[in-house]
Amino acid sequence: MSDTTTHKLDALGLKCPQPILEVTIKAKELKKGDVLEVLADCHSFPRDLKAWCERTGRVLLFCNDEGGKFRAQIQF
Amino acid sequence: MAKVAIVVNGSEPKSVYPSFILGTSGLAIGNEVMIFFCPAGSVPWCKKGELEKVTMKGNPDMKDLVQKYVKLGGKLYLCELALEAKDLKKEDIRTDTEIIGATEFMSKASDATVTFSF
Repeated sequence: MSDTTTHKLDALGLKCPQPILEVTIKAKELKKGDVLEVLADCHSFPRDLKAWCERTGRVLLFCNDEGGKFRAQIQF
Repeated sequence: MAKVAIVVNGSEPKSVYPSFILGTSGLAIGNEVMIFFCPAGSVPWCKKGELEKVTMKGNPDMKDLVQKYVKLGGKLYLCELALEAKDLKKEDIRTDTEIIGATEFMSKASDATVTFSF
């Protein structure tokens, strides 16, 4: 049985770079293997999050455009 | 990770917004970031509570940016020449801002690989 946890972060309404800053701060609480699901509607969020994951060594599982907002999952 | 040195040399919102947007973004990806306020950029920004008041259309909340900048380990420095040049008193300066001389700042920034001046 997996002991990973999926955490959620609502960053809707926040402007660049606030969603990524929220992810960065949340990341300090998470354990290896945990998943963070983020909702954001900042235009640059998908590319910023991809860059953040590449730089910090986290795995971007997906980042989907849900029509006006993005839903992403990151594995730590 | 990179070391980033940002110099603020202007007293308008257009000087501090990019400083804190890029500064916090650098911290988010693990960079070491320092912001140095020159005398021309010291007022009003280095007075207690002034940064938190600034707004600019289409930009994020500055109070939130400043809080996160400090929380993520960003450093704030004020050039000591600003005290006399701008009639500032030490007790009026933000408690999260360290007053240092130019040589100390240059020492800290001498191995920065990313630099900006606004």
